[in-house]
Amino acid sequence: MAIPEQSLITDEHRAAIGRKSDPVTVTIREEDARRMRDVLGDTDPRYADGTGIAPPYIIAMLGGGPRRGMPQVLPGGLLTQQEWRFTRPFRIGEQLQAISQVYDIRDRLGGRYGYSVLVTQGTDYYDADGNHVAAAMITITQFDPKMASGRSDE
Amino acid sequence: MSQRYYEDVNVDDALEPLERIPTTDMAIEFFGRDNPTNPAFADAEAGKRLGVGGALVPGLLKLAWITQYVSDWAGTEGMVRSVRAAYRRPDVAERPLVLAGRVVEKRVEDGAHLVELEVVTLAEGQPSTRANVQVQLPSRG
Repeated sequence: MAIPEQSLITDEHRAAIGRKSDPVTVTIREEDARRMRDVLGDTDPRYADGTGIAPPYIIAMLGGGPRRGMPQVLPGGLLTQQEWRFTRPFRIGEQLQAISQVYDIRDRLGGRYGYSVLVTQGTDYYDADGNHVAAAMITITQFDPKMASGRSDE
Repeated sequence: MSQRYYEDVNVDDALEPLERIPTTDMAIEFFGRDNPTNPAFADAEAGKRLGVGGALVPGLLKLAWITQYVSDWAGTEGMVRSVRAAYRRPDVAERPLVLAGRVVEKRVEDGAHLVELEVVTLAEGQPSTRANVQVQLPSRG
């Protein structure tokens, strides 16, 4: 596939920017917290069994996260940027409402993929009282693997 | 894990480097064996098809390590408020990664004692991930 002469981002893709998703309920699960702590070898006493607090990186496991409903312009995708923000610690067993939105979609010419599309999407998590708990944001570089073949790293 | 206080921290303070060796098992277990993930996390051939050169280390695993690294540095009364990472190049499983960091700013904002750090993961001495981390520390005052 040759590098396209014009943007592959359509008006439909652009219309997704700023549109908030319906909320999805996610649960902070003890088994996820324990498994992830074990993998990381995290011995922080704040997150030990029985404390009722989950380590912040459990946000990586929450369903309804920032990839949900992401516009797909090109078939391949690599995570190129990511952000987590924490307003307060996660509590084991609590249910949160996840609301996502697309922040930005833009073309990129050059680099290892020739032509790629950068999609930035985020999810905010709120507790039962409507208070903000955390947020996750990602930028995915979408590309066509066929365009990448034969190219060297930038 | 010792406690760090805002007054103890100076700009340009370096964090002690920490080596981690990511494995494919670790990548699978991090997300849970029953949960679908990117096949390239477990399969070197799938990683090679992405141009990575082997099984891909998940960005989320590296972000979790960075969060833990700074959280351990801060101590149990500190709290990581945000982590923002740019993945500069893919990392390959079984190859060592070194976490390193330094303090770039400290300030008091709305009564919160905040410290900003730059953290990198180094693969063969070259940064593969660059992160900015904000942590809130307790004050002796």
